[in-house]
Amino acid sequence: MQVSRSIIPVALAATLLGFSGAAHAQGSNLTVGIQDDPDALDPAVSGTYTGRFVFAALCDKLVDIAPDLTIVPQLATSWTWAPDQKSITFKLRSGVKFHDGTPFDAAAVKFNIERMQTMKDSRRKAELSPVAGVEVVSADEVKFNLKEPFAPLLSVLSDRAGMMVSPAAGAKEDFAVNPVCAGPYKFAERKARDLIRLTKFADYWDAANYGYDQVTYYYIADSTVRLSRVRAGDLMIAERIAPTDLKTVRDDKNLKLHGSPGLAVSHLMVNVGAGEKANTPLGKDARLRKAFELSIDRNVINRVAFNGEYTADNQMIPPSDPYYSKTNPIPARDVAAAKALIAQAGMTTVPVELTYENSLTDGRVAQIVQSMAKEAGFDVKLAPLETTTAIERYLAGNFETYIGNWSGRGDPDPTLYAFFSCNGGQNVNKYCNKELEGVLNQARAEVDIAKRKALYEKATAMYLTDLPTIPIYHPNWFVAARANIAGLNIYPDGLLRLKGVKPAP
Amino acid sequence: MSAVSEERAPSSQRGERAAWRRLLREPAAIIGGVIVGGFVLIAIFAPVIAPYDPNASDWMTIREAPSLAHLFGTDDLGRDVLSRVIFGARASLAAGFLSVTIALAIGLPLGVAAGYFGGVTDMAIARIADALLACPFLVLAIALAAFLGPSLQNAMIAIGVSATPIFIRLARGQTLAVRAEDYISAAQSLGLPHAKIMASHILPNILPPIVVQATLTTAIAVLAEASLAFLGLGQAPPDPSWGSMLDAARQFLVEAPWMAVWPGLAIVVVVVGFNLLGDALNDSLNPLD
Repeated sequence: MQVSRSIIPVALAATLLGFSGAAHAQGSNLTVGIQDDPDALDPAVSGTYTGRFVFAALCDKLVDIAPDLTIVPQLATSWTWAPDQKSITFKLRSGVKFHDGTPFDAAAVKFNIERMQTMKDSRRKAELSPVAGVEVVSADEVKFNLKEPFAPLLSVLSDRAGMMVSPAAGAKEDFAVNPVCAGPYKFAERKARDLIRLTKFADYWDAANYGYDQVTYYYIADSTVRLSRVRAGDLMIAERIAPTDLKTVRDDKNLKLHGSPGLAVSHLMVNVGAGEKANTPLGKDARLRKAFELSIDRNVINRVAFNGEYTADNQMIPPSDPYYSKTNPIPARDVAAAKALIAQAGMTTVPVELTYENSLTDGRVAQIVQSMAKEAGFDVKLAPLETTTAIERYLAGNFETYIGNWSGRGDPDPTLYAFFSCNGGQNVNKYCNKELEGVLNQARAEVDIAKRKALYEKATAMYLTDLPTIPIYHPNWFVAARANIAGLNIYPDGLLRLKGVKPAP
Repeated sequence: MSAVSEERAPSSQRGERAAWRRLLREPAAIIGGVIVGGFVLIAIFAPVIAPYDPNASDWMTIREAPSLAHLFGTDDLGRDVLSRVIFGARASLAAGFLSVTIALAIGLPLGVAAGYFGGVTDMAIARIADALLACPFLVLAIALAAFLGPSLQNAMIAIGVSATPIFIRLARGQTLAVRAEDYISAAQSLGLPHAKIMASHILPNILPPIVVQATLTTAIAVLAEASLAFLGLGQAPPDPSWGSMLDAARQFLVEAPWMAVWPGLAIVVVVVGFNLLGDALNDSLNPLD
């Protein structure tokens, strides 16, 4: 490592002044606090968000997303859809090597997709199910044959399903213990429930754009603790800072707040068709669900529970998504109209049981909803449950209403199809509208962006009429970093992309 | 039969009067009694004393510092902290008293029976109590409360059951000591039924240490209720409990310290009150200790 003469006095002065000279002093090790301990570090089996967080530095993907959620090249430099949209051909980047020195080529892509489709514990099987087979066209060209046209494929390949691992290492049983990918940083060590250390991969195709020699992710569950460690200079970056802590970050001149609108959504799911618990006034009558929506003020929820730092909204897809419907704005709170709808349904008091995972965030939202809905005539009973029990009940459809938290995706299909198609993976409240399902099917087969957008407009209007779930807000991402880190740019997926990140001059 | 009880009664009454006199001379007893009595009154008359509905939110006064309108400030949902502390006394004291009542109701008969009968009965009861005691009190209470589901009632049951072995053990030990007394042998030789002997002759004579222990355990139970509520295993929202108020407050320790200070102070004062009272009772009931 070179240290120019002019930097030494600056670094010394910075240290003396109490700035964290850590970036220089620690051999440019970037320390990052993450909220959960990632599960297996294998893109084929990983199921945690923080796993993706680490993969962002460890494993490159065929394609990536841009901040505006459009698809941009990563390991694939370009792609073309076949005229019948039943296949897509990728041109691969040349000169790319895996961390073990194995060259990256079309055969490696074929190996990876087949590995994820066939491996016993693979969690990518459903995402890759539209792929019928992968053909090696040449060393740097690979063709995906699809069972039917599937527009969200590129979005699928911008996440774990598109992460390429070394075929030599991927064939081994213990891959997750010693992952070998093609990202800018390679795996160095992991201490369970403590840290994961990566070191810079010198042969990375874009190595010049990565400013730290090492990245260490520390598992620190509590967001306030993560923040105080960044404030103390003991960590350099902390992800997922609580909205109520943002003032602290903004007021601290040694820190800089980074953020992005998020893809996630928090919504009040109503059981409309799953077993006994669907047999409630709210579950049976869409007018009452509309009344419930009209009785709450999303902006007040956002202001009171999240200091106004999140995005109040009425749709499952966030406003930052290109497919967001602009023709379905948030209805304003209208208690009189809510009361009128309740009267129409022949009721005066509507009992509602609201189940949620016992966290401060959901608890606060639940209490605000309870208090507001009461004015319209809803008697909301709160049922906070310990997380595991709550999720079990959610998956089993054993709830009347539930505060659902969905992480969202870069493409609208995985969200809307999962929640609103009759057999969708997240359709735990058993909502089924064949007409809406038809529109969603058309949309996933439509590659033309304008036409696809029109279909999602239609779908949005339909689910907002039936209201099987009432979206409330979209969380936004907040990352606190030491002010002496330059080039940090958070995307809507909240992940830490290290390209261009370096110690500030 | 009458001979036995007549022999016991006068001395017991004399002892009681002496104990009362000693108790009233203890400053700790006065302070503890005033604190506990005061909070009991606050809990009973909460609806009269509290300036606001403890669950009423005002979205325009979120986390406001103490003022004339809100003496203790407002919380994260715009509710009056003073009113919530006042109503929170209900959850805390109810949990304290009822869970100790549960523990006494189960623990006392089992402990006396174990000490009185000895043998296999003693073996079985004492081993169960030992097994329960092997698990730290709060851990056991948390496990039970999580199993039963979050509510104040379940929290009381969990705390009560967790505190039971303390009373089994104490009652058993005391009974073993009393059982060897002549008046028990006399009662037995008169052919009194076991239940009668245990209730009329053993229980009154082992009560002093039980009363002291019950008072001290109430303090522990109040603290346990706060801990369970802090973890979301107590009083269901939106009804206030000091523990859940602390839980909500911990996110705002810097911006809104009043959210944490008042319920925290209330817990400390009540627990100190019960401990002072317990210590004073101990000194006056067992003057030789």
